[in-house]
Amino acid sequence: MGDSVIVCRNLTHYYGERLIYKDLSFEVPRGRILGLLGKNGTGKTTAINILSGYLRPRAGECRIFGERSEAISPATRARIALLIEGHVQYSYMTIAQIERFYSRFYPRWNRDAYYGLMELLKVAPRQRISRMSCGQRSQVALGLILAQDAELLVLDDFSMGLDPGYRRLFVEYLRDYARNGAKTVFLTSHIIQDMEKLVDDCIVMDYGRILVQMPVRELLGSFARYTFTTGAAELPPIEGAFHPGVMNGRAELFSFAPQRQVEQALGGAGIVFDGLVRESLNLEDAFIGLTGKY
Amino acid sequence: MIKAILYKEWIKMRALLPVAAVAVLGFTVYALLRVERAVDFRGAAHVWQIMIDKETVFIEPLRLLPALAGIAAALVQFIPEMSQRRLKLTLHLPFPQRGMILVMAAAGLGALAVLFAAQAAMVWGYMHRLLAPELTARAMMTAVPWWAAGLTLYMLTAWICLEPTWRRRVLYLLMTAGVARMFFLSDVPRAYDGMLPWMAALWLFSLLLPLLSVDRFKQGCQD
Repeated sequence: MGDSVIVCRNLTHYYGERLIYKDLSFEVPRGRILGLLGKNGTGKTTAINILSGYLRPRAGECRIFGERSEAISPATRARIALLIEGHVQYSYMTIAQIERFYSRFYPRWNRDAYYGLMELLKVAPRQRISRMSCGQRSQVALGLILAQDAELLVLDDFSMGLDPGYRRLFVEYLRDYARNGAKTVFLTSHIIQDMEKLVDDCIVMDYGRILVQMPVRELLGSFARYTFTTGAAELPPIEGAFHPGVMNGRAELFSFAPQRQVEQALGGAGIVFDGLVRESLNLEDAFIGLTGKY
Repeated sequence: MIKAILYKEWIKMRALLPVAAVAVLGFTVYALLRVERAVDFRGAAHVWQIMIDKETVFIEPLRLLPALAGIAAALVQFIPEMSQRRLKLTLHLPFPQRGMILVMAAAGLGALAVLFAAQAAMVWGYMHRLLAPELTARAMMTAVPWWAAGLTLYMLTAWICLEPTWRRRVLYLLMTAGVARMFFLSDVPRAYDGMLPWMAALWLFSLLLPLLSVDRFKQGCQD
């Protein structure tokens, strides 16, 4: 287990008859920023619900700071800042009221961090959150998360509703905040460009399983797109290749294997090819390479 | 932390409380003015006689008000918690989860208790000047089940609101309707005297029910 803040072992969960995971295991090491990536419906929010104790899996368990996720003590909850999907907050309160409310629960509450972010909103402290735009509400929720100065941040779809400028600002702020304060962050987002700038490690999920868990740098250093021309109308399964396909005589596949090995694999599969080119990927392309384009 | 929880509940309830106070106390004043008018026209002795002969306490129009106030208070407190599953935020706060729900309920019950106490004080304050102590006690004891209904229906409404699935909410609603009916079976003064300990026990039991809904919420139960 080592020095992991989050440890999930053999999670199995169904919604009705539909399998979400079977024997899913992962860890989040202390001091790392880990992004959970997956298509819609692969169970990212389900994982966060299990982690935060709002869903009991059919089998397996998650531990946070060594405590079972369905029975986390109040003292441990004070060490975990949780952003719920949709940036849900007490929207019947004003900016000032909600700060006053939360500050009583967190001994390390950082009022300046909260109001520093709120100043960017250009809204009156007495404005009710429900009367703000979706993006402004998201910013309030994120401000409250950062003000808690928690050791672990669990952020479900943190970039939802944010405009590009604020998203960039928040990503940079969060990265510095996490690194300087040695925070552990476990997050999901639909906007993968943000993740590339932010996360140290990623877990890429497909339906029911984890495809990869590794440092982003290692993923981008080893996973590549290979393109080549071929007379074949379609490609057979190729060892070590993800989502091979052909369009107008131009073939594409993704692989962790080096170029020489891909050449051998193509030859071994009986594919006649020419002009094999290896291209490095950004995180979004790597994600699509691993999970496919639907 | 308890102060912060009460502060949040106050924010949710503060629009309702003046309305509930005006409604409950306004209707109480109205009911008492009707008694006053009867005294003016026919004299206090006539009122005494009517109370004894016709088995009335003159404040029957108030019987549903505490129940309505209890239901309304629970709705304004607990619907916002379940809207967007905001209860997740509340239960994630570093405070014992069951204690959190009980403190929230205590805020609502406290507000209702103040309201009902004010109503009781008005009724008693007026009647004890006019009536024999036995008749005043008879009116007050007749009203006790109505206040008990308010406090119990508050907890049962919280139980329904916090339940995460609609199927169970409908079931709980039917059960609550049955319990509510029980409080209003008889109009005869002091008809419920023998049942008051059972009503107290029912109210104590109802304190546990929202915790059951929260446990189901935490298990991830959904439709």
